[in-house]
Amino acid sequence: MKTKYVFETVADFYVRGSRSQVMRLSVRRVVMLVLWVSGVCTAVWSLQRVFTCHGWLTPALRVSVVVKDTNQTQYHYSQDSPVVFVGGVPRSGTTLMRAMLDAHPDIRCGEETRVIPRLLALRHGWRRQGQERSDLEEEGITQEMLDSATLAFLLEVIARHGDPAPLLCNKDPFTLKSSVYLSNIFPNSKFILMVRDGRASVHSMISRRVTIAGFDLSSYRDCLTKWNHAIEAMLFQCTVVGAKRCLTVHYENLVLQPRTTMVKVLQFLDVPWHEGVLHHEEAIGQPGGVSLSRSERSTDQVIKPVNLQALTRWVGHIPPDLLADMQNIAPMLRRLGYNPDANPPDYGQPDPEVIHNTEKVVKGHFKPPSSLKRLSQEIVSKKTNERRNIMNAPMHFQSDT
Amino acid sequence: MRKQTYNVLLACVVISAITVFYLSISAMECPNSGATIWSVWTANQHLNKNLSYPLHIPLEFSKGTPLIFVGGVPRSGTTLMRVMLDAHPEVRCGEETRVIPRLLAMQATWSRSSRERVRLDEAGVTEDVLDSAVRAFLLEIIVGHGEPAPRLCNKDPFALKSLAYLSKLFPRAKFILMLRDGRATVHSMISRKVTITGFDLTSYRDCLVKWNRAVEVMYDQCQGASKGSCLPVRYEQLVLHPEQVMRELLQFLELPWDSSVLHHEQLIGKSGGISLSKVERSTDQVINPVNIEALSKWVGKIPDDVVKDMADIAPMLRRLGYDPLANPPDYGKPDPLPLNNTKQLKGAKGNADEFHSS
Repeated sequence: MKTKYVFETVADFYVRGSRSQVMRLSVRRVVMLVLWVSGVCTAVWSLQRVFTCHGWLTPALRVSVVVKDTNQTQYHYSQDSPVVFVGGVPRSGTTLMRAMLDAHPDIRCGEETRVIPRLLALRHGWRRQGQERSDLEEEGITQEMLDSATLAFLLEVIARHGDPAPLLCNKDPFTLKSSVYLSNIFPNSKFILMVRDGRASVHSMISRRVTIAGFDLSSYRDCLTKWNHAIEAMLFQCTVVGAKRCLTVHYENLVLQPRTTMVKVLQFLDVPWHEGVLHHEEAIGQPGGVSLSRSERSTDQVIKPVNLQALTRWVGHIPPDLLADMQNIAPMLRRLGYNPDANPPDYGQPDPEVIHNTEKVVKGHFKPPSSLKRLSQEIVSKKTNERRNIMNAPMHFQSDT
Repeated sequence: MRKQTYNVLLACVVISAITVFYLSISAMECPNSGATIWSVWTANQHLNKNLSYPLHIPLEFSKGTPLIFVGGVPRSGTTLMRVMLDAHPEVRCGEETRVIPRLLAMQATWSRSSRERVRLDEAGVTEDVLDSAVRAFLLEIIVGHGEPAPRLCNKDPFALKSLAYLSKLFPRAKFILMLRDGRATVHSMISRKVTITGFDLTSYRDCLVKWNRAVEVMYDQCQGASKGSCLPVRYEQLVLHPEQVMRELLQFLELPWDSSVLHHEQLIGKSGGISLSKVERSTDQVINPVNIEALSKWVGKIPDDVVKDMADIAPMLRRLGYDPLANPPDYGKPDPLPLNNTKQLKGAKGNADEFHSS
């Protein structure tokens, strides 16, 4: 009992004593603590304001598109979705490539959107260093905002203009002039650059009268010069993007050895092999297959299986005075592996499958079905008038308030 | 050791205090804060408001977002209107985006050409697909362009050339079309040398013809818009009777009345208030309170031959209620507020050398 009392007194003393000690220091301590905590809090708060002011902590608006297919399955697409962009100078086999990819059940490219290259051109105008760019910054329109707006537009068009598929694809030939930009806004995108002997491309656009902005179809020389310039720019972009994300495919290899080439392409895209890509002509108009546009200039060709018809049509059609000068007019020919002085160069040996296809084509087995006959003038005027009638329907008029 | 810790703590506090002070000063010029609750909270503090209702800021934006579009021919009071709206705690307009009218113009070109429409349909790029793409682009720009707010607003004068289309994209959107006596508008752009595509600033006649065409396009669409979605506002009435006009306007927008819209000049540069741009030509005017200085500056400045032909050159004048033969027409008598503001403004200028045109 005595010990207990002693213990109690000792404990009491300690508590009292330490309490008074604590008491002596506590007011100061508490004041210091409060000041310190509030200082830290305000600093953090102001830092956060500064950061958000400069947009470093702003949660990026998530761009996402949801599409339903015929079975009501939902597909969610975002900027992180894998997308493949197919392009090149027009008349280089871009449509053939996208049609073969479309024949794969997991891939959907669809027709040329036409609007995507125009939006990209507008976007580049706002990027160029100069008065406009600084004016935009002054108005609070940052390059990041323009990127997410462009991305949103592109994603909506790509996702909605055809049936959904695990791997979306877009083919607008000139988009490959913007591969680097696209690779930045779509972090999981890949690119396929179609390359072809410039003489063949140019002969195709001139003989078929395919209007391409900037190309003077009355002059082989001008077209070859423009071809050279365009493919040089696209190849440069492709190199910057890097081999892991940008693959160049030679049209000649595609038509001569389609199996080997497509194996490489599907491996590059990380997509399992599917035999259907070698028989795209069977998937035309099929659900999950190849959708064609009656307005596009290559439609009447891609309804046919892969064949050799267009390989060397250009031979003998290039004006003789250009032949000797070819290396100077189009130096990219040699860079891409085409001999500028050979008419034609030896592109390689065809596979038996392709020879067989070409024979069938020559025999006339693949005529365009009536549903895909090139939109004749008649149909265009009929559709134009239909639209005019819709547009002229009376608007709702409201009297002055 | 205790003394050391004490000094360290003291130093921390002092540094934090200085940082806070500096940052709060620089944060006033914050051009683009994407903060959510913070800016609203500070906005309330600044305005010293005790809002009885919570401000609901939407987190998702879509076709159903009730956007506000302000526009009209440039030099018609569009900037004044948007800064007065910006002064309202629930609205954020911000500066001109410049890019929105370009995209809308591109879409209009595609839409006008039946041939192109056919080609786009063939490509699967139907009107619906294109509309969702344009809508997505516009939303990214409008939403990301400034502080969040319950009602987002956009002011790009010529965007209202696509009023009907915008109404299709955003069925719940409301449109404010600023109208002004074309003679005042044209005098403003010529005397201040404000370059506008398509307007030849060396010719009053040409500018009036172009004004006429532009205002007709926009006015027709405003009249044709669904009931209750477009309100034309006359600049003259706005500066002569700001309270009356703003009350009607806020009712049209389904927004509660807030008297701060009559004192926008107090909120310039403040968070939750008004952000101005150095490259916009009206900035030096809207930093002043609502005044009637610019009303009739055009009188006597228009060439005689143009004055004579006025009714033929610009028939929209009469259609909008401006007498083409009166120089100037009687716009009305000013309310005390703008009258006082104008007196103060004139007094401040005094015998200043600087000559402000309208």
